[in-house]
Amino acid sequence: MNLINEKMIDEYVKKFNFKQMLILPVILLIVSLLILAYTSYTTRTPEGLGAPVKLGMEFQGGTAITFDSSKTPEQLKEEFSAYPVVQAREYGGGDQKLLQFGPMTESQLSDVINKINSEYSNPGQITQMGEVVSKSLQRQTLNAILFSFIGMAIVVFIVFRVFVPSIAVVISAFADIAFAAAMMNVFGIVLSLGTVAALLMLIGYSVDTDILLTTRLLKRKGELSDKIKDAMKTGMTMTLTTLAALIALFVVSSGSYLVSSFTRIDIIRDISVVLIFGLIADMVNTWMTNVGILKWYMEKTGKTETRVEKPKKRRQAA
Amino acid sequence: MNGEEPFYKKPRVLLLLIVILASIAAMTVSYENGEVKVGSNLNYGLDLQGGSWLQLQLQGAIVQVSADESKIIQSEFQRLLNDPSIKVEETTLNSVTFTTTKQTTQKIIDSFGFGKSTITQAPDGGTRVSLQISREYSIQKYLENNLDAEIRMIPGNILTFEIRKAVTEDELNALLKPVDGKVNSFKAGVSSDTREETKKILESKLNNLGMKEIPIRTVGDDYILIDLAGVDITTAKDIAAKPGKFEIRIQVNGNVTEHVLYGTEITPGLPEKQTGDQWAVTFTLSDAGAAVLRDAAIQYGAVTNPEAHELIMLLDEKEVYSAPLSPELARNIQSVPVKSLSATTGVGDEGQRRANELQIHLRAGALPVEVDVIGAGEVSAELGSRFKSQVLIAGLIALILVAIVVSLRYKQPNIVIPMLSTSFSEVIIILGFTVLVGFQLDLPTIAGIIAVIGTGIDHLIIITDEVLAGGAMPPDKVYRSRLTKAFAIIFSAAATVLVAMSPLLIMGFGALRGFAVITIVGVLIGVFIARPAYAEVIQGMLVEDTGKKFVDE
Repeated sequence: MNLINEKMIDEYVKKFNFKQMLILPVILLIVSLLILAYTSYTTRTPEGLGAPVKLGMEFQGGTAITFDSSKTPEQLKEEFSAYPVVQAREYGGGDQKLLQFGPMTESQLSDVINKINSEYSNPGQITQMGEVVSKSLQRQTLNAILFSFIGMAIVVFIVFRVFVPSIAVVISAFADIAFAAAMMNVFGIVLSLGTVAALLMLIGYSVDTDILLTTRLLKRKGELSDKIKDAMKTGMTMTLTTLAALIALFVVSSGSYLVSSFTRIDIIRDISVVLIFGLIADMVNTWMTNVGILKWYMEKTGKTETRVEKPKKRRQAA
Repeated sequence: MNGEEPFYKKPRVLLLLIVILASIAAMTVSYENGEVKVGSNLNYGLDLQGGSWLQLQLQGAIVQVSADESKIIQSEFQRLLNDPSIKVEETTLNSVTFTTTKQTTQKIIDSFGFGKSTITQAPDGGTRVSLQISREYSIQKYLENNLDAEIRMIPGNILTFEIRKAVTEDELNALLKPVDGKVNSFKAGVSSDTREETKKILESKLNNLGMKEIPIRTVGDDYILIDLAGVDITTAKDIAAKPGKFEIRIQVNGNVTEHVLYGTEITPGLPEKQTGDQWAVTFTLSDAGAAVLRDAAIQYGAVTNPEAHELIMLLDEKEVYSAPLSPELARNIQSVPVKSLSATTGVGDEGQRRANELQIHLRAGALPVEVDVIGAGEVSAELGSRFKSQVLIAGLIALILVAIVVSLRYKQPNIVIPMLSTSFSEVIIILGFTVLVGFQLDLPTIAGIIAVIGTGIDHLIIITDEVLAGGAMPPDKVYRSRLTKAFAIIFSAAATVLVAMSPLLIMGFGALRGFAVITIVGVLIGVFIARPAYAEVIQGMLVEDTGKKFVDE
């Protein structure tokens, strides 16, 4: 069994021109942005539009508690109706339930904790987030993602020093993040510290293959389609190994759906699921968007063949 | 082989081996009390060993305010002397003179704490009072009296006060309006001195409870993070957040009291039975505490009339104890500051119970500002250990899947084994690093390690494909130039990861700092130590093993 089907890659590179390559990613990007815009619109407040992704407890303030109970989420919601219950839901399979409350006073909170400790088994995690912190975290997260993205773009421009190939990498990375964030909305994954970490990681991760591709195409000798094929072989292997590891993490951290003794580990699950979506998008965006733009750029500037100054440079390097 | 030394003697490979051995040593060997011990040195975070964490916000404000001192003196003495007809006659740089229709004495005026006074008879009856007071001090005193809070002047060019109590800018403006004042700058929070003081008190409190080495971190000026391993959240809050401010005040007259000292100046002793079945709690004051108590007792007349000037102990602004100075103490304190005191609590079992309670209050208090729990969390010990084993399982499965994918692609054990070993060695080095710098291994940190492994394998694939372009190991010269190209890609890719992670280093509340630090350190270890060594290893392995095959072909 071969991991990479060279024949398919061969056909793909030869058969499709850059316009055809760009169709799918453009559609995906538009759909992703529409989903994000829709979420932002539906969560709007009188002060303005909401966040493009649903905010988790850490960014809203409140308290979340996990414990075991055979009651349904609805029954639990009813039972705790004296307190500001935001949601009650199944958590990681089995009897585990998660109750999330809005902001409460300290005495309300200790009442809730006492009630759960005395009436239910296996109280697992308690997380309490003040509104001050969560508001500030929201702002800081936005800044972190922006700085991170801009920083990545600057590094890319410094590395390649040519506008079109650099902007192609930046566009691909942007499309990856947009798709991953849109899929969070589709699959009901909220913005948590874990997903923020994953989105930032994705900014770094997703450009790996783009940098590989661009370097190979711009700085190597040889036929353009051969170079694309070689880069694709390497890049696909990279993405597939990473995906394999992430799928393992996702399955193990998702709880007892597969193995009954497993419990849910939010932060690992959040990170792995966002990265999985991001890397799926990355395959499309590196090998369609980025290849498409680069193909168009190199055909336009006549750089499909070996660059003349190349051998000289290599001699200097050696 | 080209007559070269074997790959395992190359400096880069040796460096990697040394670093791996050092990391393993750091992880497993410890030296304690002259004994060398072998065992795991890894520090697990709260989410892997169980426990709770608290984020505390210190309540206070740093403000710059202006106000008219003559208005302040007028309004304060109207209140204090209960005389609406106070008239300020003269205001100089260091003094304010006013007249009151009431008869009063220097002692009474001085007892209000507005500076040294000179009393003369006013020409048209009543009293004329001249106070030695600066504008700064009058504002401080005004805020102190009206906010019922401790106000500290912060040294600097511009007059700045720290208010050790939660207050809003609007409240402050409303308060200053009657005295022609306003807030010029307002920042919620506390000074770094106050923050350090609070931290130190929390530390000593936890130590008193037998909890050593509890990590207490401060974030910015206003936040304190505490991790309490093995403690549930309710207990954690009781310990750290609930006990607030312990304060001793002195009765001035009727319901009016004045601040004397905080719990910081008090070292509590033990409850003890004194003569005649009387229970008491002894406590010792610091030198400064003893001095202010003496000053207050003399200033407010407690030495001459103890019954009218009781000492009141408050915990979180609630009275927990109040009693007059004993006649003996009132006599002694006039001549020298008294450091050893005892508070009597009555006789019999009831007296004993109250003594125990008072002692807890004395010990528990002492935070200079109130703290709000703004974030908290708990992971039970059982869940923590489940997390730990499950993360290990996840890591192993991930490793196996990666091994399968890499084997499908490269098929040669000569590539696959060095690749996986390099990746694994990166994990070991990162773990060794966490031990050396005393970093806690928690779930976000482990997520960071996984992320590093992901990029690590990617980079090893880049190296392999770049040098093996064409399917075989090229001669050394070509190999070198290809390797340079591979590392150009790897360094660029690593740079983007480092840049993308760096905002997390400074993001507040330390939320994802562990994740960011591990990712950054891991990437650096990878690109500078592990991956260069891998390049040497596969060159050696492939030249040695496949050389013959190529001759045949």
